Amino acid sequence: MIKKVHHVGIVVRDIEQAMRFYRDTLGLALHKMELIPEQGVKAALLTLGDSEIELLEPTVADNGVARYLERKGEGLHHICFHVDDVERDLADLRGSGTELIDQETRIGIAGRICFLHPNAMDGTLVELCQPLDEYAQLHSTEQVTH
Amino acid sequence: MASSLTLDHVVIAVRDLDAATSDYETLFGRAPSWRGEHPRYGTNNTLFRIENTYIELLAMGAGKAKEKQWREQLAKHLDKHGEGVYALALGTDDVKATARGMRDNGIDIADPHDGNGVDLITGARRSWRNALVDPKTTNGARIFVIEHMSPAETLPSAEITSDPGTFVRRMDHAVVLSADMEAARRVWDDQIGARLALDRTFPDRNTRILFFRLGDITIEISGGASQSRAGEGKPDRIWGLAWGVDSIEATCARLNSAGIETSGPRPGIKPGTIVATAKGEATHGVATLLIEHTPESFRPESRAAQGDALNNTQPRRAFTVRSLDHVVVSTADIAATAANWREHLGLQVAETHEPSFMPIRMAKLPAGDAFVELVQPLSGDTGIARTMSERGPGMHSISLVVDDVDAAVADLRAKGVEVSNAEAGAWPNTRVARIAPAAANGVPVQLLQKDAPPPRDE
Repeated sequence: MIKKVHHVGIVVRDIEQAMRFYRDTLGLALHKMELIPEQGVKAALLTLGDSEIELLEPTVADNGVARYLERKGEGLHHICFHVDDVERDLADLRGSGTELIDQETRIGIAGRICFLHPNAMDGTLVELCQPLDEYAQLHSTEQVTH
Repeated sequence: MASSLTLDHVVIAVRDLDAATSDYETLFGRAPSWRGEHPRYGTNNTLFRIENTYIELLAMGAGKAKEKQWREQLAKHLDKHGEGVYALALGTDDVKATARGMRDNGIDIADPHDGNGVDLITGARRSWRNALVDPKTTNGARIFVIEHMSPAETLPSAEITSDPGTFVRRMDHAVVLSADMEAARRVWDDQIGARLALDRTFPDRNTRILFFRLGDITIEISGGASQSRAGEGKPDRIWGLAWGVDSIEATCARLNSAGIETSGPRPGIKPGTIVATAKGEATHGVATLLIEHTPESFRPESRAAQGDALNNTQPRRAFTVRSLDHVVVSTADIAATAANWREHLGLQVAETHEPSFMPIRMAKLPAGDAFVELVQPLSGDTGIARTMSERGPGMHSISLVVDDVDAAVADLRAKGVEVSNAEAGAWPNTRVARIAPAAANGVPVQLLQKDAPPPRDE
């Protein structure tokens, strides 16, 4: 079940340049900058009330974010909802035959996450997430670390 | 070569080897694995092998040394910095190849030399081959590369002498302080070839951390968030060590009763960890952290780790963006799309609206304090219809809450941002101003003031 909008993801060419608008002009507080070599992205998270803006810059040429930038240019990329049980929600989606990008949850910047396929949502890329502390409370150690 | 590097051991420089050995026996809850001397170097040592590395307490020895540089460097270090972490030894299977690779990467590393040590109690011998890195080329951190020639079992695990749960099981991480983070990153990433796992900045705490992995041990390099000229060229310092224990509480109790003062236990920065600091002379100049991992702490990158970082103090501004009001999603068939959002995500239409002054149909799907707004253009002559035909249906714009949209517009214009005049929003009792997407990295951003008085013409 959805608790709230966790973040809105925006793909940009250059995070430093994008922060001049989102951080300096709009005044959103930057609370985290992260380079994730394994995923080929650099991310900046800016606080937006109870939600966040996630600026994403690809650091490799061959991942989804890079292809999106190539094809569509900078702009809105995905919306992520904070859910109370990402495993259950994904299992329900699998059960109903919803088109998915991730068949299993995985670890992302926002915690335990999965992406639905935009085809399932009429063109919108939707991510579900559950922060790791909440996830760990809900699931046993064995599931968490598999 | 890079991927196979481990943290073979950590060397701590001490003045009085007997005192330090006794203190670390207490701290670790273990008896030493080895009490030895390096006849060629003129140094004496005590070793503790723990689960994933070993610790060497190193002191000056008596007698003549063939290779004086080791003793001279240690003496110089003790003079200048006092006791504390002296060096990190990077383990490799092939010291020659590793040294060659590092040299190719611009590191000043000596040719590998054979070394050996004798255990004074058992008479056992260990031999190795190591290559010293000139600290100047590694930004001041003293590093050497080592390949062991003796089998691993020659150095036995340090016998546990304390109660279960109260001994140091393994090393968790080492902390290096750096005044020049860019240089540190170049050294560890490009030149040493350690695996960079994280590069994170906490702007509000003016902190940047780099995590490099050597086997299952993290080298945490910590410094200021912004690169300052003043820091360039200042040496890095291996400052502290963090030890993994099974029970922080029991370990602290044991240490306190043995006369080693501890602070804590307190929650660590990494979620699910509990930490305590060991204080006083017993650590011999090493900033010492004890860390217990509970099952929730399996990932250091958890966002909850940012708790402190969220407390931003913002300078006063002409306007403040309060929150996300809604995200606009365009669709060619609002009923079909609403059905998808309901079926797949459980989001329900709470309200629909067709504004009198715009040919669109809207549906509000609340999600927490914000909502998703589905919009179906009813004419090709709207901005949203044009965007849909260019980029396809889907996410279109975001709407952010401000207290005073007119003040926001004035301030943005003063900063040179292209923004529309504030006007009545599509939802009743709102006033909105639209920022040109070109100013916002391709995103149509709308600033929205709630509870705005209705405009006169409605």
